[in-house]
Amino acid sequence: MNWPLIALRNILRDGTRVISTVLIIAVGLTALLLGSGFMLSTYDSLQEIGMRTEGHVIIIDDNPRPLLGGTHQQLTLSNWQPVQASLLSDERVLRVLPRAHFEGIISNGNHSAVFFGSGVDPQEEFRVHGPFLRTTGTLDPWLTKTDIADVMLGVELARTLNAKTGDLLHIQTSNSVGKINHASLRLAGIYQNGTPEIDNHTLMVSLDTAAKLLETDNISQLSIYLNQHQNSTAMQAELQNRFDNATVQTWQQRAELYNKVKSLYDRIFGAMGIIILTVVFLAITNTISLAIYQRREEIATLSALGTKPTSIYANFILEACLIGTAACLVGMLVAFTASHAINFSGLMMPAPPGKTEGYPIFIYISWSHYLLTSLTLITIVASASLLASYKAAKINIANALS
Amino acid sequence: MSTRLILNAIGKSYGSGDSPVTALAEITLTLNDGEFLAIQGPSGSGKSTLLNICGLIDQPSSGDYYLNGTPVAQLNAEQRCAQRRKALGFIFQRHQLIPAMTVSENIAYPLLLNHVPAKQIRHEVEQLLSKLDLTHRRKHLPKQLSGGERQRVGIARALIKRPQLVIADEPSASLDHHHALAGLQLMRELNQTFEASFLIASHDPFVIDFCDRKLTLLDGRIGESS
Repeated sequence: MNWPLIALRNILRDGTRVISTVLIIAVGLTALLLGSGFMLSTYDSLQEIGMRTEGHVIIIDDNPRPLLGGTHQQLTLSNWQPVQASLLSDERVLRVLPRAHFEGIISNGNHSAVFFGSGVDPQEEFRVHGPFLRTTGTLDPWLTKTDIADVMLGVELARTLNAKTGDLLHIQTSNSVGKINHASLRLAGIYQNGTPEIDNHTLMVSLDTAAKLLETDNISQLSIYLNQHQNSTAMQAELQNRFDNATVQTWQQRAELYNKVKSLYDRIFGAMGIIILTVVFLAITNTISLAIYQRREEIATLSALGTKPTSIYANFILEACLIGTAACLVGMLVAFTASHAINFSGLMMPAPPGKTEGYPIFIYISWSHYLLTSLTLITIVASASLLASYKAAKINIANALS
Repeated sequence: MSTRLILNAIGKSYGSGDSPVTALAEITLTLNDGEFLAIQGPSGSGKSTLLNICGLIDQPSSGDYYLNGTPVAQLNAEQRCAQRRKALGFIFQRHQLIPAMTVSENIAYPLLLNHVPAKQIRHEVEQLLSKLDLTHRRKHLPKQLSGGERQRVGIARALIKRPQLVIADEPSASLDHHHALAGLQLMRELNQTFEASFLIASHDPFVIDFCDRKLTLLDGRIGESS
């Protein structure tokens, strides 16, 4: 006996209702795949920003000593060069970038502004940021070995100062004991990443320049970039054991935007998923309940012939699963086509909170994701049909046959 | 000869309170192994209710029912289902074929429920298709058959597992004389070979005369028997 074929014949007996059920489930699956595909691509993007900005694993001093000038002047990570060299010998490590944070005032003679600065490795810093920190008008190479040091400004800070590449700017900052230091720097270029805090208030100089201004070669943090970000947690635990007096964190512990957006999207898409799954559950319950009502005589006959209730459930579950599978195939095809259309269309999302720029909508397409979502939906369909078909086994045989 | 079925003062009423409807009252009868018993009576006399009770698809309101010596009242739903699957065969007045199954599948279904090997099922089905002149219809669905063909498929389905007791409600309905005779001969063959008992409700004099014994139901009571 070919049960799937018999189930298919039963399904085709009620084509119109089955088609509407297939469409409801297919639309639900399409919405789930598009929504979750967008969510996952957003997570990937934010994860990439977080990792590129902070590094996969970050070492910071565990005993900050508050000094004059506020938190940015606390350059407490000393003797870091041997640590950097040691980490670079680890085959899992791609780069180890020192960063020294400080703050002060920058002026072009006519205008001045408060800044938050970073002393960075000029050769590597912009490579790790990649497309998430776009530079314009950069002198090549920036921070050249001239008698005047270079500075890079956030785009809005440069606009505030009406500064252009090549202009001479003056900065004033205090060292760890409160001594005021000055320097004249050449504007080597402008960067932009779409986050107002960064674009409006930050600047970068070479680590050497920062050391001269701050009169120390201590740094604020060591950012470690790995070959594979999946190693972040293991590496963090390893380094935390190795450095008792330092705090070692993963990028995720410092990625505030990623964590906030993920929490928000998880709730939004979670609620959307629950609503869609409920609609699917109700649609299939309705379809199977109507089928049971219309096929009461047939069910009663099966019972009269001695069919076990479990076999009667199994027939309806099989029918529901066939409907679910057909719907999932349609839903996956529609979602796949729509995702490609959206990805190629260049549609933009508006700027999210904390950003000044929108970003292109991208829908993540992955067959494992498609299959997992479809299996979840088919499980819901099977559960709904089990619930509905439970009534079938309760039919009064004599009444149904009379 | 042992007793297949004993009904002792079986009653069946529907509804409750001041005006219950009595479908059967004080039905007492015995059916032996290998016996053909015809039940006749006008519409509404309680024939179908009696067959339903004997076929374990309805339960009496009062009285005792023994099937193969077992008091049916002591059987739970699962055990009654197992008895229907193994010991009972049904021929329904309205055929009650499974619409999504072909003729062969409908006939084979009771054997499948009893876990008979596939090869044996195919053999048994082919034999019955041939005897009931249905071979050319084996792959057709019930909706593609005439009323008579459906009834013959229903008879084949009831007899294929060689049940101990066959419950038949108007087995000759929709059948011409030739096919009615073929069906009855098949029943007789089963009866003679395996001592199957038959409880047949019918208005058809040809069927009633074919049976060993007959009883008449009138308003839910046994009117006369012979």
